[in-house]
Amino acid sequence: MNMPAIISIKNISKSYGGKKAVDGLNLEIQRGEFYGFLGPNGAGKTTTIRMITGILRGDEGEIIVDGSPVSDKNHIAKLLGVVPESRGFYEWMTASEYLYFFANLYSVPKKNQERLITTLLSEVDLLKRKNSTIGTYSRGMKQRLGLARALINDPKILILDEPTLGLDPQGQLMMQQLLKRLSGAGVTIFLSSHLLDEVSRLCSRIGILHQGRLIAEGTVDELKQKTNMKDLTEVFLHLTNA
Amino acid sequence: MYFHIWQKEIKGELYTWKSMLWLLISSLLFSVTSYLLLTNKELSLLDQTELLWLLGKVIIGVALLIVTVDASSVITTEFEKETAESIFLSPVSLADFILGKLLSSLTLWLAIFAVSIPYILVTSAGSHLAIPFLAYITFLGTLGVLGFVLLVFAISLFFRSSKNTLTTSLIILLGLSIPAVFSTTLKNDVASQIISRVNPIDNIFSSLDNVLVDYHVSLLQNWQFIVPLIAFCLLAFILLLFAMHQFQRQGVIRSE
Repeated sequence: MNMPAIISIKNISKSYGGKKAVDGLNLEIQRGEFYGFLGPNGAGKTTTIRMITGILRGDEGEIIVDGSPVSDKNHIAKLLGVVPESRGFYEWMTASEYLYFFANLYSVPKKNQERLITTLLSEVDLLKRKNSTIGTYSRGMKQRLGLARALINDPKILILDEPTLGLDPQGQLMMQQLLKRLSGAGVTIFLSSHLLDEVSRLCSRIGILHQGRLIAEGTVDELKQKTNMKDLTEVFLHLTNA
Repeated sequence: MYFHIWQKEIKGELYTWKSMLWLLISSLLFSVTSYLLLTNKELSLLDQTELLWLLGKVIIGVALLIVTVDASSVITTEFEKETAESIFLSPVSLADFILGKLLSSLTLWLAIFAVSIPYILVTSAGSHLAIPFLAYITFLGTLGVLGFVLLVFAISLFFRSSKNTLTTSLIILLGLSIPAVFSTTLKNDVASQIISRVNPIDNIFSSLDNVLVDYHVSLLQNWQFIVPLIAFCLLAFILLLFAMHQFQRQGVIRSE
């Protein structure tokens, strides 16, 4: 028997000032899947992610996450780890204080907090700078801290909106290895990225969004076959008429 | 959950040079007022009860102004610095978020009140008014600050912009303060008297006058001033509930 999809998006639409950012999108993400979400700028990726996380209300349609509607904030917040597009941080906090703050918001038991935060900071290679204020961090370091925050509640689903943007090659490699490890541990990952090479290496399935509509979906090989192209970059450029 | 928001606010917003500057400004204003009241030839001829009443007005006025200015940015900076999204992605409810922020604004009021205590004690020395003065400043100040902070938070949720929230809040504060400082002899017509009856700042000042000048210190003797103040707080609370409802309907990210 097929397991129900962990994220099920049914016919959602969202308009900004009369212009449709997302137009009747249908999408199903399976449990444990590493899903790549591609699209040119303004295709509606961030809007879709914000609707999945409940931060933005859709105009039409329905989003079900692990059996609950996205409006069930308590349930959804515990399931999801999110690296959003907006990169706001409390610049006056240290990385350590920042993660303790979020650990408390997610009700992580006090006795586990220190070990968890040390592990997370070590995984994103910020342990040595844990007592520096975030204001002194580079953009890449903030990105990595954002990922550590997204993992504070040991999420079943990890949603990332351009997580490697602004990272140096080492940072990108570190983040990709971490995502691979999480995927191997059974975490469902929904990754929006412009780095097609990264997506083709990491993701088991890919969806391409263009002008708010899902124009293609499948594995890299399936997409290459369908379009008769050599690699994902060519597929992407061909489908989005670039 | 609100406790962690409050704790963050204390560390990030109150335990900062900005708040210390607010407290220093308060202290300087209270010093100048007390010094003038006690040493200035004309002012020192006033009865001590009048002196205390004037000082009480300055304490409440300064506190309302500072807390209103501070509260205008407490919620809106979370949107302007893009930290709201990560907060609302966590299991924190909007009610917890607001309550944490409210506690931080009330903490600022308590800090200003603590700064004012020595001035209250010095100016009321030798009279029997120190205790009622302290008690009524605490009570009326807390009600006034609570009402204004709830109102400012409602405005913050509507605008989600510090500049618009601050401007609107200051217009309301000034609009209510100016009639409150007019002498009672100027309030002869019916309209002025009605405004005076419903104006929260007017009621705070009138109640202080009733306590300090007429020595009507029981709550029952001040009900006519306290009830409109409570009504103002309730009205601000209802407006905040409406703003919260609107906020939840629109989502954390508003569709422009």
